[in-house]
Amino acid sequence: MLTELETKLLGVMMMVIMLGMGSSMTYRDFLIAFRRPKGILVGLLSQYMVMPFLGYALALIMGLPPAMAAGLILIACMPGGTTSNVFTYFSKGVLALSIMMTTVSTLVAVVTVPLLLSFYGGLAGLSGDYVIPAGNVAQVLVVLLVPTVIGMGLRKLNANIGATIELVGSMLGVAVILFLIGSWVPRNYQMLLDTGFPVYVATIGIGLTGMLLGYWLARGLGQDSNRARTISLETGIQNGPLAVLIITLTFSGTMQQEVLFIPILYSLFIVITSSLITIWYRRNATAEALARDAAKVRR
Amino acid sequence: MTDGYTPPRPWLASYGATIPHDLPASRYKSLADLVDQACQGHAKRRAFTCVVPNGMNGTLTYAQIGAMSDAFAAYLRHECGLQPGDRVAVQLPNGLPYPVVAFGVFKAGCVLVNTNPMYTPSEMIHQFNDSGAKVLVIVDMFADKLAEVVPQTGLQAVVLAGVPEFFPKLPETIVRGVQIVWSRTLPPVPKLAVPVTRLRAALARGRPHAANVRSFWQATGPEDLALLQYTGGTTGVAKGAMLSHGNMLANLAQVQAVSGGLMATDDCVLTALPLYHIFAFTANLLTFFEIGARNILIPSPRPVQNLQRAIENYPITWITGVNTLFNGLMNEEWFAAYPPKKLRAAIAGGTALHEAVATRWRAMTGTPSAEGYGLTETAPLVSFNPLDDRARPGSIGIPVPGCDVVLVDDDGKPVPAGTPGELIVRGPQVMSGYWQRPEETAKTLQKGWLFTGDVAVMDEDGFLRIVDRKKDLVLVSGFNVYPNEVEDALAKMEAVLEAAVVPIPDAKTGEAVRAYIVKNPDYEGDLTTEDILRHCKGLLTDYKLPKSIIMRDELPKSPIGKILRKDLKAEVRAEFGL
Repeated sequence: MLTELETKLLGVMMMVIMLGMGSSMTYRDFLIAFRRPKGILVGLLSQYMVMPFLGYALALIMGLPPAMAAGLILIACMPGGTTSNVFTYFSKGVLALSIMMTTVSTLVAVVTVPLLLSFYGGLAGLSGDYVIPAGNVAQVLVVLLVPTVIGMGLRKLNANIGATIELVGSMLGVAVILFLIGSWVPRNYQMLLDTGFPVYVATIGIGLTGMLLGYWLARGLGQDSNRARTISLETGIQNGPLAVLIITLTFSGTMQQEVLFIPILYSLFIVITSSLITIWYRRNATAEALARDAAKVRR
Repeated sequence: MTDGYTPPRPWLASYGATIPHDLPASRYKSLADLVDQACQGHAKRRAFTCVVPNGMNGTLTYAQIGAMSDAFAAYLRHECGLQPGDRVAVQLPNGLPYPVVAFGVFKAGCVLVNTNPMYTPSEMIHQFNDSGAKVLVIVDMFADKLAEVVPQTGLQAVVLAGVPEFFPKLPETIVRGVQIVWSRTLPPVPKLAVPVTRLRAALARGRPHAANVRSFWQATGPEDLALLQYTGGTTGVAKGAMLSHGNMLANLAQVQAVSGGLMATDDCVLTALPLYHIFAFTANLLTFFEIGARNILIPSPRPVQNLQRAIENYPITWITGVNTLFNGLMNEEWFAAYPPKKLRAAIAGGTALHEAVATRWRAMTGTPSAEGYGLTETAPLVSFNPLDDRARPGSIGIPVPGCDVVLVDDDGKPVPAGTPGELIVRGPQVMSGYWQRPEETAKTLQKGWLFTGDVAVMDEDGFLRIVDRKKDLVLVSGFNVYPNEVEDALAKMEAVLEAAVVPIPDAKTGEAVRAYIVKNPDYEGDLTTEDILRHCKGLLTDYKLPKSIIMRDELPKSPIGKILRKDLKAEVRAEFGL
């Protein structure tokens, strides 16, 4: 259970993160991304078809209790997190595509997330208590678009300010997760010990399987390896803090604590798994970029 | 070639009305004079902007460049005790410190020794000892090399400068933080027996004495040495081409004469090539600074994506580059979709611009690419292909005003038009010799003529076409094989990314052709020696066919991307015990 202050702090941090997301892109980035919209469409497909199904399937297979299943399905239905942009940046992926996927998936989240939540929630047989109202989700998302637009304006105004905010926002994305873990783990120490193996498998598995399926779905749909790596990271890395924010605004008391469990645990493990994956992706990307530099003109 | 010989200049007819037949005298006494006048004349204009890959940037105006280079000159003379003519080695990537330091060296009446930042300690030791450099300005990213280098040289002081130097405080801190934490490219500075100063501190110490800087360079004239520009040549160790203030000013005037007023004060030139190389030094630094235009400096242009923010954020009107850079840019989606809107032209040099690249460039950007030819020894421009319909594809164009170009045979006699001969050049941009190497100088410079070692063909109108390096010729059973011809044939294979051809000893034919091949990573399928020979047989006569074919992952290249045949030749010498 997060305190009132922590919830407010989380909200402010999310604003800054979205400001950073906005300042990481230009109007032209949008145009370039939509010249080849296939990448974004493939990304959306893996984001909103693969992930939610994975969440539902894992909840079912691992036999999670309703509160945990609700948390896992919520995480699975979330749009891409802004931390995926920083990981894409460091893995030398297609930053514009990552940012576009995050932006577009956040935009359409207003519609898709409530729909997917009620669909898979219903399928999983979650009772009325665990239903997250669509209004809450939509409201939070709309509020977060304001700083995104302001960020874009700042970038245009001054590249130094834009790049600084971009970096701060991305770093804060990681900081928020550390903050959540730091404030939450000590208080739920016992619960972590009591939690069974299946919960951990589901929590770590959702991110890793998402990245794996995201990569191969993208490759299968004709994306080059660099774009596929970007889509992979984007798919596996969900907006954990947003899920936490929505839960804190929807539930209270013990129930909040139960539903929060998987999103926070996910946020913890995704930082570790994505870091490892990023190091690996970065090596591949560097080799490819140098080869491309040397490539001769196609005849 | 006799002293009194006045060779014909058949190319003058192609100059038309736009290019003066005779080179106008320079308005300046020295490079220091040029810098000083430009800084006063354009004081409020932005001179240099350095852009790192994430878009963070810093800018210095002409007035700031003037004041800071004054302070650096005063630091060199007052604090380091340098005298006119003393050498200062500068080992910096493109960035705001470069012009401050280089111009400061000229204002101190000293000699600039441009040094590649990527040099190994042994290369540094050779160059600093050979030039007798007393002060070194080095980028802090390579400060770790100093521990080995400084004790083995006569260096008396070291100045450190960073890549984000003179950026606004916050971006500077962030870029430096990323260098320390993420890329780990900022090593600790070793303990040295000579004083080590950060550039900012050096400027602060020079500033109180900066009032009388003019007196340092008042006596400097066109005959005085400005640069020791090291060049490997094809054999032996690097030697310093002695380029005087007059050489540099003449070549600047030649560049401006042939660009026929195409460059303007509001221009913005993308400087992705390293300024320590003579091409960018003259074409970007001097040419655009003199007219009050703006240089966008890129510290690290590889991978080519590093240029994206610079090209997006600034109204680039000119790009100087080499074949590989233009090719790389056009393979980037962001560039292909939105090539710079205000671009006027691209200037290509360093190595031959492939026709396919030039054609695609024009189609993609809607602007022409001008190709020039030159050498370190000629500061560098010798010939150029005009930027209009006079241009001839595949040619290196016609000689610049004020200089003579003749093609000669092995006896030094001019060859008839259309016949290959060694290109020799005489003019105000030709160096006075190699630093402290009379023998090398005597071989290269004869009675004012510089023997370039390049074999070329001149047509009736004076347009030149480079055939190959004379020293790279392969002599197969008495027949000349030009490596370029074989390389071009090889490069026509879809499966071949790059090729280089060098001679190997052969018991039957004296020499034979060896080809080093890099397979195109995008080519699916195998590439065998048989495939290559089958392909070549359709294009080359028998004696030109590669006798030996070696597959490689990459070929040795110079800092600006030229394939280095001399390194491959060295391998051959080692292999055959020559």
